Order: sequence, then structure tokens, then C-alpha cells
Amino acid sequence: MVTANDPFATYKEYGKEQGYDLRWLERRDVWGQQLDSTAKKGGLLLQDVDSGVAAEVPDESRNLTGRTRGSIPRTGVPRVGNYSVRTKADIWLRNGAELYEEAVARQWASATDIPWHTIKPLPDDIERAECQLATFITEVEFVAGDVPGKWISAVTPDYYEPRMYLISQVMDEARHLDVFRKRALVNGGGLMRRTGNTQGVVGGNIDSARDFTEMSARLHISGEGSVLTLFRMGELMAYNDAEKHIYRLCAQDESRHVAFGVMHLQYLGSIETDRREEIQSYLDEAERALVTGASGQNPAARGLASNAALAVLLGGGDDKVDEGMKTLLAVRQRQVKEYVQRVRVAGFGERFENGRANPMLEQYLKVY
Amino acid sequence: MVQERQQERPPLPSLDMSWKTQTIQWGTRAPVHKDGGLTLEAINTGAYAEIPDYWEDRTRMPRGAFNPPGSSGVAIGGYYLRHKSDLWADNAAELYEEAISRRWSSAESIPWEKCRGLPDDVEMAIAQVSTELSQQASIEIEVVSSWLQQMSYGYHEVKVFLATENFDAGRHFEVFRKRALVNGGGLGLESPGQVNRMLLESRAGWTETSLLVHILRGVFTRTVYRYLAAYAPTEVEMLIGRRAAQDKTRHIAYAMQHIKYAVNHVPGQGRAFNAGLTQAELVAARDDADPVLWECLACIFGGGVRGMDAGMKVVARLRRTYVEDYLQRLAWIGIDHRAALSPEYVRLLEA
Ligand SMILES: [Fe+2]
Ligand SMILES: [Fe+2]
Repeated sequence: MVTANDPFATYKEYGKEQGYDLRWLERRDVWGQQLDSTAKKGGLLLQDVDSGVAAEVPDESRNLTGRTRGSIPRTGVPRVGNYSVRTKADIWLRNGAELYEEAVARQWASATDIPWHTIKPLPDDIERAECQLATFITEVEFVAGDVPGKWISAVTPDYYEPRMYLISQVMDEARHLDVFRKRALVNGGGLMRRTGNTQGVVGGNIDSARDFTEMSARLHISGEGSVLTLFRMGELMAYNDAEKHIYRLCAQDESRHVAFGVMHLQYLGSIETDRREEIQSYLDEAERALVTGASGQNPAARGLASNAALAVLLGGGDDKVDEGMKTLLAVRQRQVKEYVQRVRVAGFGERFENGRANPMLEQYLKVY
Repeated sequence: MVQERQQERPPLPSLDMSWKTQTIQWGTRAPVHKDGGLTLEAINTGAYAEIPDYWEDRTRMPRGAFNPPGSSGVAIGGYYLRHKSDLWADNAAELYEEAISRRWSSAESIPWEKCRGLPDDVEMAIAQVSTELSQQASIEIEVVSSWLQQMSYGYHEVKVFLATENFDAGRHFEVFRKRALVNGGGLGLESPGQVNRMLLESRAGWTETSLLVHILRGVFTRTVYRYLAAYAPTEVEMLIGRRAAQDKTRHIAYAMQHIKYAVNHVPGQGRAFNAGLTQAELVAARDDADPVLWECLACIFGGGVRGMDAGMKVVARLRRTYVEDYLQRLAWIGIDHRAALSPEYVRLLEA
């Protein structure tokens, strides 16, 4: 039977005669809708391709077969997705696809985008401090590779946008691990001491979080927030163009990672208002870590070898650590300021008005 | 008042300078090359080039860092893959740099406007194939990323290489999604799912998972990419097919090197894999019994529904090429699988 509104009717008639199945030849809801790849700078972007059923993001996902969002379920397909994240608010943010595309557009290569030849022999005390800092950073960078990795496979593909962002983050962190390892080994130095037993284990609390938002608050807001501030102030501790490039390019990546955390908190806080108290309690912890260095992720935290190394680098030598410490306090002050700003943007700023915020934060802002 | 403020001030940080002499090898200067820059391979020099057979540490201690006395036994959790034979491949560092230097963007590297105006049946066939390839990439992401935290830091080259594989697979997920939607074809039917299940449920070790995801499935996916490029209706599918195949070649190259290393170092593993693959092929045959993917490929290769009979001949060639390539790669690894090939795969060879 040829019907007027089936664009494939004649094909079907022919195909059926030949014994073909042709189940795939059914008109979809977006049939005939062309996407204009020239409409925007940057080409055909992920945030612009979905419409109709493909764009419908369910509040709760019942997709357990691993099909991509908007594809047509088949009967008889085994359930394989052991997805613990199947509630939209648990992972969602408003512009995950944008962050992914930005990451794609801004990838860089540690092998060739860093002017390594600008690194010249440095005084021994400076080189040792560089190498200690690089050892610390190469150690912590892949916290943000391993942990998001674990979560990627826990998220239903119905929420592919945040998943794609997390994939790009793992890629970024691989490059960060690698660029700092390269820095330690390029200029007559070597790797130095791993973060020791006194601080416990680096990033351990980020690894152990069993809720995505809890993990994200610890990793993206607190841990990477501190690192971002430090990288942004990289000019102060760089001794050549290569190091300046490293800090600048890493800061660009880290700002996406922090933005993800902020925008996810913003979304969750606005949708699931009954979880706000719980989120505030994660921020309590994050602040404790920020002021005491207990997260182990902040290289500027007291008592760490990287802290002393930073003092040497910022001061300009072993004999100028006092000056270095002053600058380091300014770094920590800026870390606190930027943290406060992020939490405000995320929509949880009331903690700074109602007395909930850690009192040490305010001291940092006022005293130093 | 002033007095009180003074007391509230957080104590000034104490400076520990004991790290200053703690390094296992000082004086390392990795070579920077004019064109290639400073590569991950190049920094594997001196003590830092020693890749131990077993990695005791379960923290994130970088390989070659000084482990302070008294800190052994500290663990984060995870990092259960601690034998070199669990994951190592000598080419991982090189493949990592190659993945970065050959990165591409589906948004900007594909001339999307050039795939307009295809016949309706061909457009629908491409949309269906794209849907299935997108899902294959999505499953690959779930499989690979779930192993990352199990992999010891001592073998960071493999970890960072797999980060690039994940990123590649992410790109394949979205480039095929974009292709399905760019002309209004729309997303089609999900995959039949038996191989997907096998990949996700594989838990004997990363090596087994790699054998399944990279060799059994990966070699197949690469063959489809290459045929798609060769029989592409427009420049768009040709470029996507070519570039995705190039990425896939790297993933397979890692797997071949790794599995070869593993079967050479773990007694009995090659034999177990040889038998396991026969079973895996039977699982794949269940997916293969579904006609949807084959019909769509035949429609693309034959230029439309009316050319599907001719297209099916190309499909048969594609499937034969796959099995031949699969056997050859297994032979290179050190698994002579020809005699153990499942009857279903034997039939494909004879087609
Ligand atoms: Fe990072
Ligand atoms: Fe980061």
C-alpha cells in the first residue's frame, strides 16, 4: 500500500518484495529538519544538534540498555547499564555541551605548545623548588582523571552532555599530569618527594565520595578552585616563558573544570531545594579543607613540601622565603576570595551572611 | 581590641625544607626536539625510564618520585592493577602524543554543508548506521573509563593514553550523532546489545576487556569506518570514516602491544583467550543475526534500497575483511586462533 504521508512507501514496497526487513526505514520526528552548520562561528556544535525526542532530557532516566538519547528502543535488548546516576538533578548543568565543545576547541599539546627551549639553567635552589612543586602537581592532577573516570560510566547516556564534559576533563588532566612531569625532567632536575604521610593521602576524600555532587563540590569547587587561583598567579612564580605558558594554559583548562562544578551546584540548588542543607554541609567540609589544607589538593596549604617550594619560588631563593611567604599569603587570600565568589555564583552565598561560613575564611580576607 | 585581633590570626605556616635533597636522581635533562618538542617518551630517561614489573604503591606517587620513609602501606583504594603485565604496552607513550598531535574537531574539521541532498533511503540508512556507531562509542567510553582508577600510577603512560582513547570515543559518539541529525534523518534504532553487554560485563582483568573491546569489537568498528569512507556518498562521510579509522588504529595498536606483552608474561593466558574468543564470537553472532545494520550498510554501498542486492555483496566483503584482519592481529599478538574460530566466523571467511 502506497500512502501519501510515508516518504519511504515506494522503497518499502520494493524492499519487501526482495525480502528485506527495512525496520529502519521509518520517518522520525525530525525528518527533513536540516541543521545549518554555518550559522555560528565554531561550526556544528553539540549544543545545537538535538531537537524533538533527542532533546528530551528526562528528570529520571529509565534507559538501562545504554542506548543514546533519542534513539529508538528495541525489545529484547539486555539491560547492561549499571547507572547509579539516573536522576537529572544529580549531574545536570545548563551548558554541559558548550563546556565540552569549548574543551575540544581549546585542546593544546604539552609537547609542542610550550616553548621548552626558553628554559635555561636555574640556580639550584630555584630548580629544586620548581621540581618539588612539579612533583606535587603531577601527583594531584590525575585525581581529577581517575575520579571523573569512575563517574562517567555511572551516568546514564541520557545525560550525555555532562558525561562528555567529564571525558574532556579526564583528557585535560592527563595533559596536566604530563606537562608537569615534563617540567620536572627537562632542566637538569628530577622528581622529588611525594606528598608525605603527614597529610594523609592526596585527594583521598575526593575518591571516596559516593554522591556525585559531593564529589563535585570537593573536586571542582574546592580542590580545583585552589589550583586555578594558583595557576592564575603563575606569572609570579614563573622563571621563563615555558612556565608562564604552562600556568596560563592549565588555568584555561581549570577554569572550565571549576565552571562545571559551579554550574552543576547552581542547577541542583535551584531544582532540588530540599538538598540545599546537605550541599551546605559539603561546603562546610570544603572550607575546612581550604583553611587547613586538609584536602591535600592545595599546593599552597601549610605543612606541605609544595608550600615551602612555593615560598622559595615566589621569594626568589632559599634566602628569600620570608618574602615568598608574604606573597603566598596573598595567594591564599585570593584563593579564599575566589572561593567565596564561586559559591555566591552557585547560589549558596547565604552562608557568608548568616554566619555559617568558616570563620577562618573571614580572617584570611581581613587580616592579611 | 587590637590585641584580640592579633590572637585570632591563623598561625603562620611552618616551613619544612627536608624535601630539598630528596630525589632518586638529580641532573636529568630530557631532550627537546625541534619538530616533536618534548615528548612523554623523551622524559623516560635514566631512573625515570625504569618500568617495574610490579608497582607496590597504591597512592598517586609519580613513578620516580622519592617515597618518604614510613609512608609505605598508605593506600587510596582502587589501583588493583599493579602488575606490569596487567596493562603495559611499550607504545603507549608514543600513541598518547600521536593522539594529541592528530586531534580533530567534529564541529570544525567536517564540511557539514557538503552532505545535503542525498536520496531519502540513503539518508535514513546513514542515520541508522550513525546511531549504532554512536552507541558503540558510548559503550566504549563506559568500558574504558571504568578501568582508569584501577590502573596503578606507576604506569601513567597507559592511563594518559586511555584518556585520549576516551576522548576519541567521545568525539566518535558526537560526530555520528551530528551526522544522524544534520540532515533531519534522525536517530534510529538502538544496537541489539549482546556485544555491548559482553564488553561491560567483562571483569577477568583489563587485558581480557581490551581483547574484547579493542580486537573483537574494535577491529570490526574500524572495518566499518573504512568501508564507510570508501563508499561514502559525500565528502562528509568519507572524512568522518577516515579520521575515525585513524583514531581506532591507535586504540588497536595499544591493545596489540599490550596483549602480546601480557600473553608472553602470564602463563596460560594466550590459551585461555583463544578459547574465550570462540565464545565471544558466538555472542557477536547473536547481534549479527539482526539485519538492520547490514541492510543499512548495503543501502549505502549500493546507492539506495534498489541497489541493496549489490550492496550486500560489499557487506559480505566487509565482514570477510573483518575476520581476516581479526585473525591476523591475533596471530601477531601470539594467539593462533584460526583453528578455534567459531563456525559463524568461518562462514564469513568463506562467503
Ligand atoms: Fe588539572
Ligand atoms: Fe582540573
